[in-house]
Amino acid sequence: MSDLLVIGAGLSGLMAAYTAVKAGMRVTIAAKGLGSMHWGAGTIDVLGYTATQPELPVKRPLEQIQSLIQQNPQHPYALLTNEHIAQTLATFVALSKDIGVPYGGATNPGDNVLLPSPAGAARPTYLAPKAQLAGDLSRSEPMLIVGFEGMRDFYPELIAENLTHLGYPARAAFLPLKLITNRRDSNTVQLAQGLDNKEQRALLAAALRKIVRPGERIGLPAILGMDAHITFLAELERETNSPVFEIPTLPPSVPGVRLYKAFRGHLQSLGVRLTAGLEVISTQTTAPNGVPGAVQWVESATSARPLKLRADKFLLATGGILGGGFNSDVNGRVWETIFNLPLTIPQERADWFNPGFLNPQGHPVFKGGVKVNASFQPIGANDQPLYANLWAAGNLLAHSDGIQERSVEGTAVATGVAAAQALSG
Amino acid sequence: MHTKSWHSVGPSLDECIKCNICTSYCPVAAVTDLFPGPKYVGPQAQRFRENGQPQTPDHSVDYCSGCRVCNEVCPTGVKIAELNARARAQIVSEKGIPLRNRLLGRNEMLGKLGHIVPGLANFGLHNSFSRVMAEKVMGIARQAPLPHWSTDGSFGDWFKKTQAQRLKSDKKVVYYHGCATMYYEPFIGKATVAVFEHNGYEVLVPPQNCCGLPMLSNGEFGAAADYHQNNINKLLVYAQAGLDIVGTSTSCTLTLKEEAPELLDMDSDNAKAITNATWDIFEWLRERHELGELKTDFRQMNMVLPYHAPCQYRAHRVGKPAMDIMALIPGIDIRESHARCCGIAGTYGYKKEKYQIAMDVGAELFDFVADQGGDVEMTACDSETCRWQLEHGTDLPSRHPVEILAAAYGLYDLEKRQLL
Repeated sequence: MSDLLVIGAGLSGLMAAYTAVKAGMRVTIAAKGLGSMHWGAGTIDVLGYTATQPELPVKRPLEQIQSLIQQNPQHPYALLTNEHIAQTLATFVALSKDIGVPYGGATNPGDNVLLPSPAGAARPTYLAPKAQLAGDLSRSEPMLIVGFEGMRDFYPELIAENLTHLGYPARAAFLPLKLITNRRDSNTVQLAQGLDNKEQRALLAAALRKIVRPGERIGLPAILGMDAHITFLAELERETNSPVFEIPTLPPSVPGVRLYKAFRGHLQSLGVRLTAGLEVISTQTTAPNGVPGAVQWVESATSARPLKLRADKFLLATGGILGGGFNSDVNGRVWETIFNLPLTIPQERADWFNPGFLNPQGHPVFKGGVKVNASFQPIGANDQPLYANLWAAGNLLAHSDGIQERSVEGTAVATGVAAAQALSG
Repeated sequence: MHTKSWHSVGPSLDECIKCNICTSYCPVAAVTDLFPGPKYVGPQAQRFRENGQPQTPDHSVDYCSGCRVCNEVCPTGVKIAELNARARAQIVSEKGIPLRNRLLGRNEMLGKLGHIVPGLANFGLHNSFSRVMAEKVMGIARQAPLPHWSTDGSFGDWFKKTQAQRLKSDKKVVYYHGCATMYYEPFIGKATVAVFEHNGYEVLVPPQNCCGLPMLSNGEFGAAADYHQNNINKLLVYAQAGLDIVGTSTSCTLTLKEEAPELLDMDSDNAKAITNATWDIFEWLRERHELGELKTDFRQMNMVLPYHAPCQYRAHRVGKPAMDIMALIPGIDIRESHARCCGIAGTYGYKKEKYQIAMDVGAELFDFVADQGGDVEMTACDSETCRWQLEHGTDLPSRHPVEILAAAYGLYDLEKRQLL
């Protein structure tokens, strides 16, 4: 039997599992499917924008968190000290290096770095894969944005034009798609896997060498190899004599897949069993009656009878409304899918949204979630933990709007690590 | 709160958020662009497959191997593989089924025929002239790892012959052996009976039919429904008596439990009784172990054993119970494969146009085995066609985990594949 069952295989679940296994616990992860790491840009956004200055990217996120907390004292970041958040991020960076997908940040430590988005906007993030860092918009070299004719989901002219408009000089160029693949149709992951091939890599490097001008840096869609990625990046920079960077694409996100695969492999080597395809459909708990109850087991659907998943402790890391931690019906009722924990989300559809799709204040439906105490235990109306052996982390936590704040991954890393520290301490 | 999954096959497509995770993990789309990927042929094309549609919009769905990696990784629970299986059945009902696929679907009939004079049947099938002809005339790949009929009798023959020696006990279990154990690999059945009896169970082997899976995967839903109904008729009395029906072929047990009733919309109480009574052998053994009932008087087994859980376990959604149990054996060094699929996918890799795809898919697994070093003498996998493919791709013998377990109990010779 496991000491800890983590439900969910997103960034918060994996960080929690990593922290717990390092603390000596026997850890199992059960997930309905693979999650949000495959959709995002592969960056670790800690805090990108605040409601008070919605047009201005946050410069120093860890410092700015203090004013965020003043505005929003119940924000999940408020459960941690600044030093603690910084420690969890340092844990992530060290881990990323250990598992071969190194992350880094701005040249000036503590700053956000502005990177080109796939729409050619300047996107603030705190940590990015090494392959994205030469896109740092504070650097002065003009950019050559290279796409592939016929590749869906990446438009170099759009990116170059928008970047130039923002004051970051860039021009676009196209290469033929058949330079990198013989397939009729490919998604980004398949293109990246194709570029693990050495000959294909050499062809691309030679073609880039012909079109790059001295002093330029080269931006490419994030498909520069899957397993051979780090080698390939070095090859390209050497062959073109120019800095090379990746720009995230529409999903599936190759940078996210690289991180997930390396992280999962590392956890497996540490003895963590991760099983996807397990959808938890029921729970067995002792009834809370003034005092906290306990989770005895959860059950997942199988081809026949439910499978009991037992553990001493349980950590819920199923994500928010996109990750699958919540579900809703047409009338506006929103519920937490596994334990039916109380949510701060409005239960009337009319109360879900503020006026305006891109309202700088965000929308109540995205800000709501599971309330936890300082030890990351879900709490009820009386602020007491509902179950003595249940913890929660990540984007299902109440009082943050990760997409609005650009804090999705920062919240996942910080609360994933901290919740696991709380439960293993 | 949900007490059961709210998804059923058809409506589940509305859960698709177009994230493409399925296509990114699909082992078939990774090696050929004849298959554009689960998202396109599944939830995407499904919107154009309404009833009464004169023609199916997409024939590339035939290149889906049914490995269900897509179902496993889907974050929202779309039953992609099942959508694809139904789409294939729609194509078969429109265009008819090739003789080859009809033949490959008829495991039980082929087993029975070959069993009459197995030596001759083996010679007839396995000489190189026949294989070339079978490829030219029917499209069965000449290199594909087809099985050999057992030349020392079927499992049924042995079970009948040894009736007097069989354990009698109050604890009884029904054994669903499947066609491969019956006609090709009776030693799997013998090892299984030995493991059951060692744990104090009397083994009942009632008459039974092919589970129908080969027909389901080749789109012959009508014939598959007949087979499933026959099995319900033959096994129901045991299910109603509260006996467990335990199988050693992960694909047969999956079909009895879920694939047949779900794909064929057979949701009678009788079908449900069969679902609830059926267990895969290691799922059942793990349950015994959790209840403290499994004997663990194992011998030391000094071996490095690469183990590949077959795709059907992914669909069973019970984790990897064979690993859980084999891990109890002292001395055994199990190397867990994380390869997505061996490629064979039932009868998929037997087909001429799919043979190379199957080998390319399996390369991930073959490379994993090769990486485990020179101490490896055999591999293990629960599913028969996967074992044959593993042997074909690695040149190493492959064993069912129940053979490993029987050997660990000191009841079975792993090399000769016979009871001691």
